[in-house]
Amino acid sequence: MAALKSNILRLLVVFLVLAACAAAARAYVTIVEDSAFDDRQMRPQVSFEHNEHNEKAGIESCNTCHHFYENGEKRKNSDSVGMECSSCHYKAESGELELIRIYHKQCKSCHLQKEQGPVQCGQCHRKTGENP
Amino acid sequence: MHAIYELAGGFLVWAALVIFAGGTVIRMAWLAATARKKDAAVFHYFSFYYALRSILHWIVPFASRNMRLHPVMTAVTFIFHLCLIITPIFAAAHVILIAESWGGGWWYLPDAAADIMTLTVILGCVFFLIRRISKKDVRYLSTAGDYILLVIVAAPFLSGYWSYHQWSGFEIAGIVHMLSGELLLICIPFTRLFHMILFPFTRGYAGSEFGGMRSARDW
Repeated sequence: MAALKSNILRLLVVFLVLAACAAAARAYVTIVEDSAFDDRQMRPQVSFEHNEHNEKAGIESCNTCHHFYENGEKRKNSDSVGMECSSCHYKAESGELELIRIYHKQCKSCHLQKEQGPVQCGQCHRKTGENP
Repeated sequence: MHAIYELAGGFLVWAALVIFAGGTVIRMAWLAATARKKDAAVFHYFSFYYALRSILHWIVPFASRNMRLHPVMTAVTFIFHLCLIITPIFAAAHVILIAESWGGGWWYLPDAAADIMTLTVILGCVFFLIRRISKKDVRYLSTAGDYILLVIVAAPFLSGYWSYHQWSGFEIAGIVHMLSGELLLICIPFTRLFHMILFPFTRGYAGSEFGGMRSARDW
């Protein structure tokens, strides 16, 4: 009985570790991706270390970036984690320029405001694949 | 770096556009007033038909005899000018920046095409520099200003090329690109780069005189 108990306990630990790994992996985004871009991008994809960035930038709330708007107002207690930007910001008829615009706006406007982080084309779209 | 980026991408863009547009209008008005005072016949004998005929004749490559006499110069100058004008207006990065700032935007070139066209402009500037130095008559007519102007024209393309290819120090090249582009725009109304605006008028004047007055063919 004791053996069974400790086995269940071990299994539970393994499960918890795996769950934690899965959660960490989810948060550990390393590249900016959006299915709406397809393969039409001309410049190299933007490498983005999600956790590292937020630590450096001191961002604690998900909806600082993953904002959620309703009726034109930002909802304080909601976020858009797990959604692609294109699911709200892109319609096929508005063209890829609009998608590019909103992605640039999301990063660049904040970087300019904080006077921190990359703002020029080549600082994010690195040819070498290095981090900015 | 952020402060200078914002300055070069904000206030200085407006300053350059206003000086370019304002300078163009003022210089055109001044030229028109001076012509009216000193050479009023220009207005009297101006013919739209012969002016347009002559402009068309001189914007078609190898249409004029002078162009056929100088085939290399003609080929280089046409390709150079096309790339010089088209690349900045339709470079993807430029259109994207306009969409970011003002919304809207228009069709843009694939990066690979803009890349080749930028290189073409740079090589064109090198060609004109070598021509200026190596051809005796051209060298005789060249002033320091002509050489400086060549550098001013090449600078935004060279720094843009540098920035795009992300060679070392490309962040600084990006800033230089913005500032030198603005400088180029500002220089247009006040230097011989004004031929960009003046070309149809000078050509139209010559066309009116040769076609309308002397009934000569356009050579």
